[in-house]
Amino acid sequence: MNKKIFVFLSILIVSAMALAGCRNHTGEGLPVNETEAAGEGREQEKKILRVSEAFVLETLNPHLDYQGWYTSIYGLTEALFAMDDQSSVKPVLAESAEAEGNEWTVKIKENACFSNGNPVTSGMVVRNLKNAGEINPRFSNLLDYNYKIIDDKTFRITTVEVYPTLLNDLASPELAIVDLDNSGDMAKELVATGPFVISKFEPGGTVEVARNDKYWGGEVKLDGAVFYYMPEADTSLMAMQNGELDSYTSVTSDAAEIYGQAPDTYKLVTVPATRLQFYILNENRLGAPVRKAINLAVDSEAIETYLNGTVTSTSGPFSPTAAYGKAAKAAVDPEGAKELLEADGYILNVDGYYEKDGQVLSLNIAYYAARSLDTLAALMQEQLGKIGIKVTLTCEEDPDGTYIATGDFDLALYCMIADKASDPYYFISCTLAEGAPYNCGGFSNGKAQAWIDELKVETDREKRAELANRIVQLAIDEDAFGYVALFNKTTVMRKGVTNVSENCPFDFYFLTADTDMD
Amino acid sequence: MKKYVVKRLVQLIPMILGITFLTFLLLYISPGDPAQKRLSAQGVAVTKEVLAQTREEMGLDRPFIKQYGDWLFHLLQADLGLSYKDGTPVNQKLARGMKNTFVLAAGAFLLAVAVSLPLGIYTAVRKNRFSDYCIRFICFLGNALPNFLLAIVLMYFLCIRINAFPVIAKGSLQGLFLPTVALAFPLASRLVRQVRVAVLKQLETDYVSGARARGVKKGYILFRNVLHNALPSIVTLLGLSVGTLLGGSVVIESIFMWPGLGKLAMDSITARDYPVIQGFVILMAVTYVVVNLLTDLGCRLLDPRIKE
Repeated sequence: MNKKIFVFLSILIVSAMALAGCRNHTGEGLPVNETEAAGEGREQEKKILRVSEAFVLETLNPHLDYQGWYTSIYGLTEALFAMDDQSSVKPVLAESAEAEGNEWTVKIKENACFSNGNPVTSGMVVRNLKNAGEINPRFSNLLDYNYKIIDDKTFRITTVEVYPTLLNDLASPELAIVDLDNSGDMAKELVATGPFVISKFEPGGTVEVARNDKYWGGEVKLDGAVFYYMPEADTSLMAMQNGELDSYTSVTSDAAEIYGQAPDTYKLVTVPATRLQFYILNENRLGAPVRKAINLAVDSEAIETYLNGTVTSTSGPFSPTAAYGKAAKAAVDPEGAKELLEADGYILNVDGYYEKDGQVLSLNIAYYAARSLDTLAALMQEQLGKIGIKVTLTCEEDPDGTYIATGDFDLALYCMIADKASDPYYFISCTLAEGAPYNCGGFSNGKAQAWIDELKVETDREKRAELANRIVQLAIDEDAFGYVALFNKTTVMRKGVTNVSENCPFDFYFLTADTDMD
Repeated sequence: MKKYVVKRLVQLIPMILGITFLTFLLLYISPGDPAQKRLSAQGVAVTKEVLAQTREEMGLDRPFIKQYGDWLFHLLQADLGLSYKDGTPVNQKLARGMKNTFVLAAGAFLLAVAVSLPLGIYTAVRKNRFSDYCIRFICFLGNALPNFLLAIVLMYFLCIRINAFPVIAKGSLQGLFLPTVALAFPLASRLVRQVRVAVLKQLETDYVSGARARGVKKGYILFRNVLHNALPSIVTLLGLSVGTLLGGSVVIESIFMWPGLGKLAMDSITARDYPVIQGFVILMAVTYVVVNLLTDLGCRLLDPRIKE
């Protein structure tokens, strides 16, 4: 009887597998373009890059929320300017931009055109900027400016006050230039200027793009690309191992280790990106010696080692390669930290913790369990414990920053983009200025505020960098913050795949006209 | 019967009111701000002015009862609103998620039933034999293995090692097979044990012993009497399983790139996307009530002794 059952089950399983079909790369599950590309004798002809992404797109409107990041990744849209690998702003659709006080005159490239062949005109650019200002609250300041169309390829923006970072703003992918007259409501169709055009868009699913044959910027090397929505890192890893993907970013440390073992098959590129892990020391609760001791005890290099290639330790909030990323912090010195606490009247008790007036030196670390902040909290607890500070961890549910806004913490961990457009003002104004949304620990310094006000209107890049370095240094010296690490952007490519913006620290670039594969 | 169905459907109204009010209240008092989440979705900070403006635009600055009242008013017009996250109509999002979940759930349910019914009956008949122990052990594993582990193990062996399936196969029969198995295995494991208990309970009754003593064939008793009497309990168990399956499975949907209701609900909770969460809650409430109603009707048909 048992044998019969075994035979029956075996037949059942084999039948099910046969019904489901055996492995077939050109099967019905693959997108049309890819199926065609993988067809007999045509595999050599078409170069379709297969990519996984952890996000999902519901509409193609680049002006809405952060959609422009994704349409930029897909190679569909371009803005007037862009950030390059060295974090500098470079013109894309724009030819040049000149400032005179609060007036910016922008010239558009003569040959810039949309995928339908229509030229990019100054009138269309201004309409795009206004549209973005209307539907995206983060760019509502664009509605406060005056726009004057000088000719078909030149327009002038008059800002309310001197605005040195306007070009950096114009490099935001959300300010992509779209043919508004021929893109409908941009829910499913989009006519833009990028090297690729949309060929199949499934809201909440797979996105397929094809070469823009009328691309104004020259030859596009790939025939197309397919972006699969894969929220699970393990699925991307297995699809890559199975030869079903050619590249993706945000590679986890575990996956990177596996790819690293097969250098003949995969190429891994890791660059420090713009997302910063840092902590805010609450000046309203912690005295200067305790804050200093904490900063002396936190070893960001040890944290980098523990996080196994996913972060790069940092002294300040910006990449050290940037002119405004030159702030320095004191070397790790646990013994010095202990001496500071003892000089402040703390005595080590039998449990190994410092105490003063019968009160154990304890603090709570508030954090949310994402972006490795939970690991960071645990590591800091251990490091601070070694110098005699008792730490309790408070895991907050919301990653949106409302928990730090309350100021109800001793030390709060947070992760945010520190450099969103190759300029330091955004981060400094958000975290160090008086009343700034992320200045929640009581940092208030007249000198820093004066420099911040100066930075706001300073147009000279070198002076801006110098001011930024001075402001950040002041915050570090006052032990108001601790800058721990910058998240790395890790990209894996199958051998032969090139130019997927792997050296660019910004998250919103991937496919370009130069992207290629063997 | 008709009166009974109408009565059950009418009971749905206060139930939906209560559930949606409680959900709205829980979301309202839970930490996190939908406007902040929308603006800072990529970790970009925004000014307090922009945040306040967005909260106003999204209607989040209004009192709780007004927000809930407005939402209810629109619901009466069959309008579930727009997603806070991306401005997409909630109806559209739910319809898409429901379609995907339904396909997956139907496959998993059919597979689980096809496996669990014969195995459940077989283990009951072969109680405490070697085959019974083997099947129960496998069922124990099926119940104990976490979903994500089973999914990854299946994918690893069948896609990477044996190379029988592609990892990316969404939209095809191949693509349906692995998530269906991953979802059906724990369900079937649970059902086998439950069917076994239901059948055993019948097998231990006096009428079975009596029939056997009178020389009625074992197979005849099993299929004509035992199964018939065990069916109401089995149908009830199956009904409960359908409800669970239609809620979607976040893990399975994420691993197999299957954008169903489970993943949608989880993402919406993380983003504090109130309109989508509310829509999901209504959908689930209606689904559970309808499935339970159909189960009850099924049981009444199978056993006319069951009265209102």
